Amino acid sequence: MNRLQHLWSCKPLLQWWVLAVCVSVPTHSWAVPSFARQTGMACAACHTVFPELTPFGREFKLNGYVLDNIKQVTGIDTSARQTLAINSLPPISLMAQISYTHTSTALPDSAITGALAKDGDLAFPQQVSLFYAGKIADGLGAFIQLTYDGIEDHFGFDNTDIRYAHHWSFGGTNDNGHDMIVGITLNNNPTVQDVWNTTPAWGFPYSNSSSAPSASTSAKVDSGAGGFGQSVGGLGVYVWLDDHFYFEISDYTSAIPGGAHPLDSTQANVVQGSAPYWRLAYEQRWDRNSLSVGAFGLDANVHPGNGTALAGVVDKFRDTAADVQYQFIGEDHLVTLLGTYISEHQTLNASVLDGFAANTRNNLKTLKLTGEYYYQRRIGGTLGYFSTTGGSDSLLYAPAPVTGSATNSPDTTGYILEVNYLPWLNTKLQAQYTGYQKFNGLGTNYDGSGRNASNNNTMYLLVWLNF
Amino acid sequence: MMKPLQRVALAMSLVVYGGYASGAEAAPDNMTDAQKSALRKTVETCGTCHGANGHSVSPTFPNLAAQQAAYVELQLKAFKDQSRADPDAQAYMWGMASQLSDATISALAGYFAAQPAVSGRGGSSPLIAQGKHLFEEGVPARGIPPCASCHGAHAEGMAAFPRLAGQHAPYLFKQLLVIQSVLRTAPVMHGVIKDLTKDQMQAVVAYLESI
Repeated sequence: MNRLQHLWSCKPLLQWWVLAVCVSVPTHSWAVPSFARQTGMACAACHTVFPELTPFGREFKLNGYVLDNIKQVTGIDTSARQTLAINSLPPISLMAQISYTHTSTALPDSAITGALAKDGDLAFPQQVSLFYAGKIADGLGAFIQLTYDGIEDHFGFDNTDIRYAHHWSFGGTNDNGHDMIVGITLNNNPTVQDVWNTTPAWGFPYSNSSSAPSASTSAKVDSGAGGFGQSVGGLGVYVWLDDHFYFEISDYTSAIPGGAHPLDSTQANVVQGSAPYWRLAYEQRWDRNSLSVGAFGLDANVHPGNGTALAGVVDKFRDTAADVQYQFIGEDHLVTLLGTYISEHQTLNASVLDGFAANTRNNLKTLKLTGEYYYQRRIGGTLGYFSTTGGSDSLLYAPAPVTGSATNSPDTTGYILEVNYLPWLNTKLQAQYTGYQKFNGLGTNYDGSGRNASNNNTMYLLVWLNF
Repeated sequence: MMKPLQRVALAMSLVVYGGYASGAEAAPDNMTDAQKSALRKTVETCGTCHGANGHSVSPTFPNLAAQQAAYVELQLKAFKDQSRADPDAQAYMWGMASQLSDATISALAGYFAAQPAVSGRGGSSPLIAQGKHLFEEGVPARGIPPCASCHGAHAEGMAAFPRLAGQHAPYLFKQLLVIQSVLRTAPVMHGVIKDLTKDQMQAVVAYLESI
């Protein structure tokens, strides 16, 4: 029996901890009224429906969140250099999410073998967030989110993107001239700095259940259970040229909140050195349409940690992704199509050595397709398809109730149906149904404990308020 | 020959807008380098929606290139004091115009007036032909004067009367709707287009976009 199997068999509580982690990977994707207060513009200027960005919303973010139309508190020095330019009112916002989750078949009780947990879970709140979102100085702005997680019952640092941007025009003032924004971003989640909704941090679903089962793994650059999420920090440089071309290079390293610092063997998933991230995209706008195609990727050398020293050989992850986004923003009708494909190559030397994985080489392939329609930004529906497939591994994907795989497989496919009603632009009432065709490798008895993929089908009702 | 109603409309217009008909075109030549820099920055901000040099891509946002300076100045002031209150004005322009000084407004108006006009889409169709007829002749039977009597024979505009040539058809159509429903205040236009049908609106805006 290897080390992980031993750990697993001896510590039932660990199994429940893993279950809790696997079902508690919320998507963090918000829009913030403080931007509206700062710019004096309605939500509809930057969002089709929050948090999805319009072309203007993308420009606002690329320009550093600094466009302001309210009175400024300013200061200059004796050489007339501006030393201060901040909003006269702080760009503070609140967000509250209250949700109800119902899975097709209740989850096992966490303490009594054979018993089931209560079927139907009210999260009040699922999350409450406090934002500073707006200008700090000329060219410098921030999106900073502090979140109380009602499921985890803790308050923590959430998505954050602090950026400086400078705008240049060159080559003349006629149509042959060029327009360029160069920016620096300091952020804590790969792709949180991105401006298209095909990248994971701001991708669909924009909100989902924190208590229902979800795919047990994901690529490092993705937003699921295997992703880095807010456990890294990175610095990047980007260029936005002629409203068409986007280039970015960033570099991330681990910045895991909580636990031991400096990071040591008690932490997990610790980046060795730094992990470079890259992004290319091209956008074409015509009439009321916009189409973007792009690619992005992340290379990371990772210490598994989790009781093993942060030294020696590492696991290597190479993520490469392609994405495409189409938007039509009419007076009454709004259509968005999103497509994302992520391929991850894994070389798991450290995990094999430490007994966390059986195979040195593995892979994950993720496909997400989403179609969305809104009428007058008030009522709309979304249909999404998702698929994660990968090589089997008897340790990475061992059998276990709910979260495990009888076939040692991560393969999970399904669909999401969503209906949204927005009585006001900053409030969303959402009904979302997630159906699984396959969960961790199989449709029937996928976990080896008698649970079927469809038992994890989830109805999720959400009240989402931003103010 | 101008019909009586046309003459009344034009006379009213000149009374209402006469104060804006002159002196609005700012003279950037007189600006300091700092003022020019500030203007350039403001123009870049405008360009986020209205396009580089006032050539916009999305029909949600009007082309501003070669727009009449007096008209731009009038509208920016109406956004700033919130007397223009149609949905897009509230959603976009109330905020954008709220901190503009009168001097900046004049400079912006002058800047956009000096930009080369957007070329029309061209084309010919029965709808465009109908629109041309409407623009040039009006609908005498319903008391609708020719648009050209105020907006110019080539829809180039005149002082406070906006340039319409080459403008996005969906934008113009929406303006006609919000003016007709009085969501956007435009005293002269309220009377002129009160009996204009949606089909006639579609025709005239198709023509204007084409030229």
